[in-house]
Amino acid sequence: MIEIQLIILLILVILGLIFSYLAILERDLLKAVGFSAVQAIAYSIALYILMAPDIVLAYVAIAVGIYTALLVFVVSKTTRYEVV
Amino acid sequence: MKKLIPLIVILLTIFGLAHYIAPKLPPQTELRPLGEFYLKNSYFGEYSAKSPEVVTSILWDYRGVDTFFETSVFFLAIIGSLTVFRLNKKEERLAKQKPKEFTGGLTLVVKSVTKIIVVMILAVSASIALHGHLTPGGGFQGGSALAVAPLLIIAAYSKYALEEHGLDKTRALILRSIGLLGIALVALVPLLTGGFIMQNQPIFPAEIKGQLVSGSLIYYNLFEFLAVGGGFTAVFLLLAIPEKVFKEILGVGE
Repeated sequence: MIEIQLIILLILVILGLIFSYLAILERDLLKAVGFSAVQAIAYSIALYILMAPDIVLAYVAIAVGIYTALLVFVVSKTTRYEVV
Repeated sequence: MKKLIPLIVILLTIFGLAHYIAPKLPPQTELRPLGEFYLKNSYFGEYSAKSPEVVTSILWDYRGVDTFFETSVFFLAIIGSLTVFRLNKKEERLAKQKPKEFTGGLTLVVKSVTKIIVVMILAVSASIALHGHLTPGGGFQGGSALAVAPLLIIAAYSKYALEEHGLDKTRALILRSIGLLGIALVALVPLLTGGFIMQNQPIFPAEIKGQLVSGSLIYYNLFEFLAVGGGFTAVFLLLAIPEKVFKEILGVGE
């Protein structure tokens, strides 16, 4: 029955890739931070399926909580929209 | 729609590479000798760390110095960000005063939910850190979970709520320093009895009153927990100072 886990893993990793791509393209930086948080959630579930609970515990707190909040602080101190 | 074309190209490339490369990689069927050593020795065996959690025993015992330097790098990063935001005493008092347009944080619903969740986060983070030698987790994981609690309070209430209740930047730094000092002391204790730096067994007791504490692992986890939580909290308190107040302090106009 390992196929089910592998399929879930595949879906999650592709989801992470798609959301990181969206985060790079997005001009509204707050939305980009949100996309990056979704990518982090997908990867943390993927890491859980890969049986690395130690990494999951650190990754959830850092990538979903602290990293996102730090970037929101930075966006609030600078400008919200990326201007090229 | 045009945005999606590069994404599809990337996905197709990855699938193609996976299809061609994956069958050619040799499958790993046997344990590597080093991994086998850790698995066999972490709880039983001659070089035991007396911990059923192999990851923590590698982190703080077999490869303890690695983690020690990793922690030092984290501290240098924290010190660097504190230096960027350095303020003298008068400016710090200015930064603690509420600005006129401060309205008191988010709505009542968010505040009530935050009250419950903060307590839960504190409990979970303590359990992650203090059970680090028994179950997955450890000092760094628990500490970074701990740092989410003040972050939530800053988001829902304000940084002023934290400071009024006694958790200001100085206290967070003291907590962080206690953690670092504790790690250094626990690392140096074995020298007194003729051991090596960061030695675990047999110098530290593996069990206290029938509870497995895995020698030095629980002390390292506890101090790392305090250090990481305090360090992150200090940085968040500094980052939460509004940009307008900072510009006033530094005397830079819009």
